Amino acid sequence: MSTTTAQPAAKQKNTAGFFLGLAVVLVLCFVARYFYNIVKPMTLPGGIPGSVLEYPIWAAAIGLIFNYVFKATNVHERLVPGFKTELFLKIGLILLGSKVSFKVLVTAAGGAIIQGIIMVTCVYFFSWWLAGKFGLPDTLRAVMSTAVSICGVSAAIASAGAVLAKKEEITYVTALVIVTALPLMVIAPLLARAMNMPEPVAGAWFGGNVDTTAAVVGAGTIYGETAQTIASIVKNTQNVLIGVVAFLLAYYFVAKEGGERPSAAIIWQRFPKFVLGFIIASLLYTFGLITKDNTSYDFVQGFMNWFFCAAFVCMGLELSVAEFKKMGWAPVTVYLIVTVFNTVLALGVSWLIFGWLFPANL
Amino acid sequence: MKLTEDWLAVIIGFAVIIIGMLDFIDPAFLKF
Repeated sequence: MSTTTAQPAAKQKNTAGFFLGLAVVLVLCFVARYFYNIVKPMTLPGGIPGSVLEYPIWAAAIGLIFNYVFKATNVHERLVPGFKTELFLKIGLILLGSKVSFKVLVTAAGGAIIQGIIMVTCVYFFSWWLAGKFGLPDTLRAVMSTAVSICGVSAAIASAGAVLAKKEEITYVTALVIVTALPLMVIAPLLARAMNMPEPVAGAWFGGNVDTTAAVVGAGTIYGETAQTIASIVKNTQNVLIGVVAFLLAYYFVAKEGGERPSAAIIWQRFPKFVLGFIIASLLYTFGLITKDNTSYDFVQGFMNWFFCAAFVCMGLELSVAEFKKMGWAPVTVYLIVTVFNTVLALGVSWLIFGWLFPANL
Repeated sequence: MKLTEDWLAVIIGFAVIIIGMLDFIDPAFLKF
């Protein structure tokens, strides 16, 4: 009896939390925009132009500050249902598709497929091997390796389902992914600038080495418009590989531990369907239904920035380091070493592919 | 078919694109 009455009450609380959380995210987006516009024309200490502080940095920083405030005042848990990082990001990416011509998409995706296969294979097996040396359990090895080699949070969840990992392993890897991706989102564009990287190469590098799609888009946005486009295409192409890896992992674990053989349908189940939206939006642009000359373009791009901003705010709001204490520092060490390996390898591969083999001209 | 987050993103994304294509809202208020 108590369960049946408790369930609708919990659902109601969840719905209220969703709308409250959503309202908070919207307000924080306005705060981020306010600071971005105030600082943009300024000159910062050391003669640094204020425009280097692009809106993803403001959004993530404001998200982090309010993460702390909400946790200190015990309201964070109530608001969490409205922190929809992945949803905001996916909508933003679909809208981004509407300014990418199909020719660029195909050229960049061609390079991204080669880069993705090299990166995912090398990073996955390096991470698997290193985690084994540190004595981590196979399920954690699988979740961590997929997260670091493909695309962070959603890859971690997909692989966890395939290998039946524990819930705390997913939470742990998710926290690790966000903790490393946030600083990388800021550091990677700075390094790229120091190396004077062309925008397509920098974009491909961000797409290959930064672990979450949100941080990839953030790094690209900070570096420039072309970098943002190429980074998104490279990351989306890599995301498509989630299904294949989930299928192979499920197959490996069944062969090792017994159980029902997985069906190839898992590849479609895990396929990120929003990528189809990205492709269709790109076709609309290619066939001239959206052009840079009319207001529809500004309208769509305006909304894209707002959705991306909401995703960056949520990234800051969702950061949690409490899980680290539960599992010890061995997995953190593995993850950090693999991230450095990933960063260096992606640098070489993106120069080779996007600087030489598939130079994308936007 | 279950409405997953991916499909929801597609629906919202295309709703924005279609409203944009109708060309009746001034996008100035969206400027970042």
